[in-house]
Amino acid sequence: MSADYVSPFDERVRPAEPLAPRLADISGARIALLDIRKNRGKEFLDRIELLLREAGATTSRVTKEIFSKPAALGLIDQVATVSDAVVEALAD
Amino acid sequence: MPASSPHQAPELIVSGVGQQEITITRLVRDGCALLLFVSHDCPTCAMTLRNLGPLCDGWQRAGLTCTAIFEDPLEVAVRTARRLSWPGGVASQPQPFGTSRSYSLVSVPTTVLVDGAGMIAGRVTGWDQPALAELVRSAGSLLGTPLAVPPATEPLRKPGCMSRAALDPELAAAVAAPAGGDELEEMFERGWTDGLPVVPPTAERVEAMLGGADPAGSLGLVPPAMGEATLERVAACAVLAGCRPSYFPVVVAAAKAALDPAFNLHGQAVTTQPAGQLVVVNGPVRNEIGLNGGMGALGPGNRANLTIGRALRLLVSLTGGAMPGALDRATLGQMGKVGFCVAEDEEISPWQPLHVERGFEPGQSVVTLIGCDAPLSISDHRSRTPEDLAYVLAWAAASTWSTNWWPLAEPSVFIICPEHARMFREAGWTKQRLREFMFGCVRKPARELRRGETTPFVHAADPDEVIPKWTSPDAIVLLVAGGEAGRYSAVLGPCTGMGSAIVSREVQRRVS
Repeated sequence: MSADYVSPFDERVRPAEPLAPRLADISGARIALLDIRKNRGKEFLDRIELLLREAGATTSRVTKEIFSKPAALGLIDQVATVSDAVVEALAD
Repeated sequence: MPASSPHQAPELIVSGVGQQEITITRLVRDGCALLLFVSHDCPTCAMTLRNLGPLCDGWQRAGLTCTAIFEDPLEVAVRTARRLSWPGGVASQPQPFGTSRSYSLVSVPTTVLVDGAGMIAGRVTGWDQPALAELVRSAGSLLGTPLAVPPATEPLRKPGCMSRAALDPELAAAVAAPAGGDELEEMFERGWTDGLPVVPPTAERVEAMLGGADPAGSLGLVPPAMGEATLERVAACAVLAGCRPSYFPVVVAAAKAALDPAFNLHGQAVTTQPAGQLVVVNGPVRNEIGLNGGMGALGPGNRANLTIGRALRLLVSLTGGAMPGALDRATLGQMGKVGFCVAEDEEISPWQPLHVERGFEPGQSVVTLIGCDAPLSISDHRSRTPEDLAYVLAWAAASTWSTNWWPLAEPSVFIICPEHARMFREAGWTKQRLREFMFGCVRKPARELRRGETTPFVHAADPDEVIPKWTSPDAIVLLVAGGEAGRYSAVLGPCTGMGSAIVSREVQRRVS
């Protein structure tokens, strides 16, 4: 940053969060299906859920308050605690 | 007495704005020449140019050309000369300032007189009124005509600054570098812009904007990138936007409202919708800082309206990281995303102003933020009853958001022009009556709404069930603004699906 100007940016460097480990196999995995309340997201997740179960996964359904807001921390904690992976139905 | 020098004037290695090369021969063609070596950041140079400038035209008519030779890039030289009303020639010399070096400059300003034969006839260093007067008299003698001399006003003498030619070349280049470029272009290079030129947020300007507020004070994190909105950064955005310091309390109130989680700025900032943030200002601050709620209230022409709205948007896009094409994913966007601020014309309005409706006192200054779409103009010059006018206004909103998306739960903002407002005033209609009438008249059977995009509500309804455009009269927000003549009101459709509440914040005179 130049000493001449005041930056409008927050220039603090924040370390990137590492990606969670990828699943080697979905058989036996606990997979959360996240409905963000976008139109027809539920239909998409219904189909994904069938396929996952056929592949031997255990599924659970979670829902965001509204698609346009970040997920509540409690919901994120819940998913992280009881699931090995999450599938999010992102947009219509 | 100016020191005399019997030497030939070295040739000039400079560039100017004209096509003709600037040479000693050309400058002394009609008599003799005065060369003023200056730099843009030297106060004594500025004073010298200011003091000699008014005499230039007379001197040049008598045969004494006057050329300011800057130790700066040409665009900086031209801008400085224009700012100082310097009417003489303007030239720029490149690094490492060989022309200054060949004239053995130690400091600027240095004024050199060159006679008709191209010989140095005298020189003066710094601002030295008696010596400069003598130098000009010498020029008059050479030309055979008396010349006006600079008046003997204080200060008579003032030293200048070190010439860049007297510095080590590497140091000179480093000194020249920060000011060397065009600072407005530099803002684009840094990405500190919304696509329009901005005012560079120098430390001095930001300090003035803060007006004594704690620069480290924080308003919270700005989504979506969660940059921290320190007051210093908010002030930097206000400077960039072109705000006066007197606008800053309004900008801060708008930022506080935007960062209230109930407003859901996060969703509005990243959505593919064209969501803009309408800043409505009520109360005494409108008139104190010159906000426009009258003619052209939604358009161009007023600094306060345009820059306050822009400052908020710059905070969202720069501090918050919502740059279009990056985290801002708007498919089309809209001009309201550049900045959108309006003052309600409370004096013309027949109704309670928005902030009073929302629980504030009339004497309080309040900013209210509403997430909304671009304005749609509604012409009505023919209605003769309040019912007809209310019908026209309401039905104009029928296609906002989407033609068959009924009902809307989010607010639609109607900006009622004074002539339309007068009709409701004369008929004795309250704001609530108008709101309920509008709510009641825009309805369609579900079957007519089942084409293309529509709502689950319409799908689930009986085909003959009558569906209103809004879920409640409360979704209709009414403001009064605009010029006294012309029957054009406007409606701003909502940002649907954002879960965004309308949020108001009082304007605090002492920002914190």
